[in-house]
Amino acid sequence: MKKPVPYEKRKASYGYQFLSLWLIGTLIFFLYPLAESLKYSFMELSPGKGGMQGEWIGLKNYIAIFTADAYYSKYLIDVLIETLWKTPLIMIFSLLIAVILNQEFKGRSFARAVFFLPVIIATGPVYSIISGNLSGSGVGTQFSTIFHTDLTGDFFEFIGLYGISEEVQNLAEMISDHIFAIVWNSGIQILIFLAALQGIPSSVREAALIEGATGWEYFWKITLPYISPMILVCLIFTVIDSFISPDNAVMKRVLEMQQEWKYGSAAAMAWTYFIIVMFAIGFLTLIMRNYIYYQTD
Amino acid sequence: MCALLSKKIWPLFRALLLAGLCFVILYPLIYMISCAFRTPEDMKDPTVIWIPRHLTWNIMKQTMKAMKFPRTLWNTLILNIGCSLMQVISCALTGYGFARFQFKGKKILFAIVILMILVPDQIIAIPRYIEFRYCFGIQPLMEKYIPALGQMCNLINSPLTMYLPAMTANGIRSGLMIFLFRQFFRGLPQELEDAACLDGCNPFQTFLLVMIPNAGSAFLTVFLFSVVWYWNDYYVSSTFFTENATIALMLKNLDTQLVNELFHSTTADISPREKIIWMEAGCLLSVTPLLLMYAFLQKYFTEGIEHSGLAG
Repeated sequence: MKKPVPYEKRKASYGYQFLSLWLIGTLIFFLYPLAESLKYSFMELSPGKGGMQGEWIGLKNYIAIFTADAYYSKYLIDVLIETLWKTPLIMIFSLLIAVILNQEFKGRSFARAVFFLPVIIATGPVYSIISGNLSGSGVGTQFSTIFHTDLTGDFFEFIGLYGISEEVQNLAEMISDHIFAIVWNSGIQILIFLAALQGIPSSVREAALIEGATGWEYFWKITLPYISPMILVCLIFTVIDSFISPDNAVMKRVLEMQQEWKYGSAAAMAWTYFIIVMFAIGFLTLIMRNYIYYQTD
Repeated sequence: MCALLSKKIWPLFRALLLAGLCFVILYPLIYMISCAFRTPEDMKDPTVIWIPRHLTWNIMKQTMKAMKFPRTLWNTLILNIGCSLMQVISCALTGYGFARFQFKGKKILFAIVILMILVPDQIIAIPRYIEFRYCFGIQPLMEKYIPALGQMCNLINSPLTMYLPAMTANGIRSGLMIFLFRQFFRGLPQELEDAACLDGCNPFQTFLLVMIPNAGSAFLTVFLFSVVWYWNDYYVSSTFFTENATIALMLKNLDTQLVNELFHSTTADISPREKIIWMEAGCLLSVTPLLLMYAFLQKYFTEGIEHSGLAG
């Protein structure tokens, strides 16, 4: 008689069967290309018959992108700094909007529909056109002028502020210049925060009301701890989203290098960038970990 | 004082804030509509800001011609829906495998899924291009032994460059989808499967007959997001298509397309400011199908995320 296969083992084999499609795909379309591109980054390449041909040049590509390339390190720093200040703004903004959209008021479903709208548009070429990022055409800058020119200056004059200090003016201008980008990049974050807010048990809310908590106390002592795991999710999502967007300067530079057939340098650029991003995300997670509250039943 | 603040002032402030921000979001869409139906003369007229003086269909017609609209739309729809269907099925299978089974190496494999979310497409684009161009290394062999077939071993410009990765859960943002499905299936009660197992279902039957009917809204949400991401993608498709095969590519290169198709020469007397109306018409054409989908299925976009277990 054949020995029956133990249940655990059978389950494990089913597990592999469910994963089989993905395993094949990942080997061909992810892991192999990943290894290849790492290899490219150490090589001087030229496209030849039947694939890439090239010779091993060690770390030369990596040294060259920082010393010989005039743009890469500048773009890299620009993108890092931009992410550094834009991410907190997006987080605060989307949390604020989510809290507001979670309240009861007339026209709430319309407001929700509008605020989620960027989710379906912001990843595409339409967004690069309307936000004035479309490179090379010279059309882009024309679009955004209506929105950007001196809106803040007008506003300050309108409410009667003239001799306002230079710094405040600059700060306000910077925020109003970027409000478009912030609002348009917060769709998913608002969605995630809203879902998290609705996950706060109503019993907690009632208890807080009976204890006489004000809205302000409620936000800091109840809302924030409850949604803290989602804050981390949003934070990581925001960072990744801005890092891998084809619209950012480093990614554009990588693309340019590829179009100039400098695949080795392009791969080295992409890998350096990727490793910095990984470090950033790991660092964030480590810091955030101390502040996250997990609800235990 | 406090009561006044929360009863009267806050709703007013909230209404103002929301109205202002809604305008920021809707402004490009309104501007698109306003531009797409005006004549080039209106762009020169400084008195025209929102409401065009001369309404016309011509710009839309010309842009449609330049974008080869019905054909491109049809191609894009087929490609999107095909890829999304395949991707949803393959990612659901993978997510279910991660959610419910214990096996060796699961942690490492899941780490690869996370890596898939983190690695930008730009890193793997060129090696993937080489794979498709030389048919996974078959082409040189064919060239050697059957030269006639060697010519045909080139997948560039073939829809297979999109279908094959989607089929094997490696399409656009599939890491995120696997992650979503895993979270979702983990949230479903284990009793469902135990009952099916007692009734004699094997895991595949359980998945097909018990889990899928319970996961309808999650499937729809992931499917919709997949359609949106494929629709908006131009980086991946521009790597594998040398022709403007999809709406996103068409729009990305609309500038050149307009010069070739419409103005017939690079020196045509069209100022950048006038060109805006064609660009905006192109934008309008390419977002309209998405907006229609969003209008009818909005609740699956928003509620789906809430129920898919991402938050929880």
